[in-house]
Amino acid sequence: MNVEVAHSELNPNTRVMNSRGIWLAYAILVGLLHMVLLSIPFFFSIPVVWTLTNVIHNLYKAQAMYIFLHTVKRTPFETSVQGKAWLFIHWEQMDYGLQFTSSRKFLSISPIVLYLLASFYTKYDAARFLINTASLLSILLPKLPQFHGVHLFGINKY
Amino acid sequence: MRPEPGGCCCRRPVRANGCVANGELRNGYVRSGAVAAAAAASQIHHVTENGGLYKRPFNEAFEETPMLVAVLTYVGYGVLTLFGYLRDFLRHWRIEKCHHATEREEQKDFVSLYQDFENFYTRNLYMRIRDNWNRPICSVPGARVDIMERQSHDYNWSFKYTGNIIKGVINMGSYNYLGFARNTGSCQEAAAKILEEYGAGVCSTRQEIGNLDKHEELETLVARFLGVEAAMAYGMGFATNSMNIPALVGKGCLILSDELNHASLVLGARLSGATIRIFKHNNMQSLEKLLKDAIVYGQPRTRRPWKKILILVEGIYSMEGSIVRLPEVIALKKKYKAYLYLDEAHSIGALGPSGRGVVDYFGLDPEDVDVMMGTFTKSFGASGGYIGGKKELIDYLRTHSHSAVYATSLSPPVVEQIITSMKCIMGQDGTSLGKECVQQLAENTRYFRRRLKEMGFIIYGNEDSPVVPLMLYMPAKIGAFGREMLKRNVGVVVVGFPATPIIESRARFCLSAAHTKEILDTALKEIDEVGDLLQLKYSRHRLVPLLDRPFDETTYEETED
Repeated sequence: MNVEVAHSELNPNTRVMNSRGIWLAYAILVGLLHMVLLSIPFFFSIPVVWTLTNVIHNLYKAQAMYIFLHTVKRTPFETSVQGKAWLFIHWEQMDYGLQFTSSRKFLSISPIVLYLLASFYTKYDAARFLINTASLLSILLPKLPQFHGVHLFGINKY
Repeated sequence: MRPEPGGCCCRRPVRANGCVANGELRNGYVRSGAVAAAAAASQIHHVTENGGLYKRPFNEAFEETPMLVAVLTYVGYGVLTLFGYLRDFLRHWRIEKCHHATEREEQKDFVSLYQDFENFYTRNLYMRIRDNWNRPICSVPGARVDIMERQSHDYNWSFKYTGNIIKGVINMGSYNYLGFARNTGSCQEAAAKILEEYGAGVCSTRQEIGNLDKHEELETLVARFLGVEAAMAYGMGFATNSMNIPALVGKGCLILSDELNHASLVLGARLSGATIRIFKHNNMQSLEKLLKDAIVYGQPRTRRPWKKILILVEGIYSMEGSIVRLPEVIALKKKYKAYLYLDEAHSIGALGPSGRGVVDYFGLDPEDVDVMMGTFTKSFGASGGYIGGKKELIDYLRTHSHSAVYATSLSPPVVEQIITSMKCIMGQDGTSLGKECVQQLAENTRYFRRRLKEMGFIIYGNEDSPVVPLMLYMPAKIGAFGREMLKRNVGVVVVGFPATPIIESRARFCLSAAHTKEILDTALKEIDEVGDLLQLKYSRHRLVPLLDRPFDETTYEETED
């Protein structure tokens, strides 16, 4: 049961992305990542830095967020619904599966914004374009409502 | 700037419950910068004097989380999560010792028995600050309590008792609102006498052979205390809710439950099989909208009218310290012909000029509340729960409630404790002790809250509620606050995620009539010191409309067929 819990929210994980200040915290985190990369001298010129920010953001999204949102299933604490969210990744758990809420829109738009910035700063040259686009697609496709609950090749099904 | 009686002092157009109407919606919250600016200079309380429904000012405030604090809280949780993953990695590769349960080597290839990830939070966050909870006490939990000292050498995975007892810890955690948690005095003597007469156990259920004359005496007394026709008492407060709501509603009925209702109410509602819809905490517009929709649209697919509509609210919400807007709920209930179930677990004995709960506090008629439920655990120093209402209702519950049929009835010394303490509160034992306790509690509440607000802490809830949540926000401060207060000989209860919303961890003080002013002053001094040490004084005296709550949207999950 919802023991020691002060509310009737069945899965608090669904509300985390709506909490106050989390969008700002996310934006600050990306900014920090960019600063860190910028401060590494020589080797990384500005176009490279932007590509790297984009890729690492998506990969870090693929590590932190992709993993946190798109790979890791269940919840890090025990919920009272006895595993209704057992097979759901965090992205699917958000707002109980309702699509197109404001948090989902924010999290979908942020990689697009980074992609546009990265394309601009890399002056649209071919190789970097391919890398950026590939990484954008890899992070954007799983967020589409058509991909809700879809497991390609059976990866990560159980 | 004090409001004149009969008026609301907010300078902007107000809706029924005094919330400021305009504000921009951002990230799901109503932010009202202009009100904040206007309020910055003077303390504006959201006072509602709603067309005569309220006979006294209703001051409730939930100050907005400062943005910087929210961001830092997420950073804190992020760092803890990363370290959690690191530790899990180390444990997996046996670099670090693994303390929690794992399967045997031979069974590693089977389907896993233990859910690793679902314990992530418990393993990596809760374990670190586990010494703040489950502290063993070894004296009666009155105004002061003795706590057994324990130590851990492996980072809270196991505890050892040092043998010391920390004596005289100021107890700010027990629900001892009227100070009846005592081992001396008239209640104790009466209970001891009854123990000699009846023994400790009843060994039967109410319906079989466990119905003592003491139980009947208790029930008539409770009915008189509440001002209802009849009452019934059960052995366990949680079981009162969870076993009686299924007896009252079933499939085809609608339950409208407050967002922050207690687990017992939620369990009872779910067990009943009725449809549950949740309205925003204490928000009468949300409740009215749900009522209107329910009556207009009926049941989900068949559009038939609902058999019953039951509104579940609590008197005092113990995590927020807020009091239900009972006059408005009753007005809505009458208008839409719904039933009202009021859970007065924390408010019975603690509110009202004569201690008769939230109905007394607002000066309303107990007949308006269809089912009055409460517990004896908090203000009466005993255990168990009761339900009060019309005689037909109670007679029905006597036969149909699971608690009555299957659960053992109340133990006789406990019953005597309740009878004695209730008579004391009512003034029937010949002394004015009860009245003094009720007044002392009200004074303590006002004093404590005022002093904490002046010091600059963010305090949630209503001015008159003896439950005082003090906001901590950051995960590390939860542990730090609990430990620092214990070092200074004050025992507090701290709560964090997932029991509260992720950024709103808090420390919860429960005031008692047993606390004298000296005890409160000592406690306040220590809280002040710890507040400076941990930088907990976040308040910018910026009060925001009561619409601004974290679990903001109506829940999307409905248990409908």
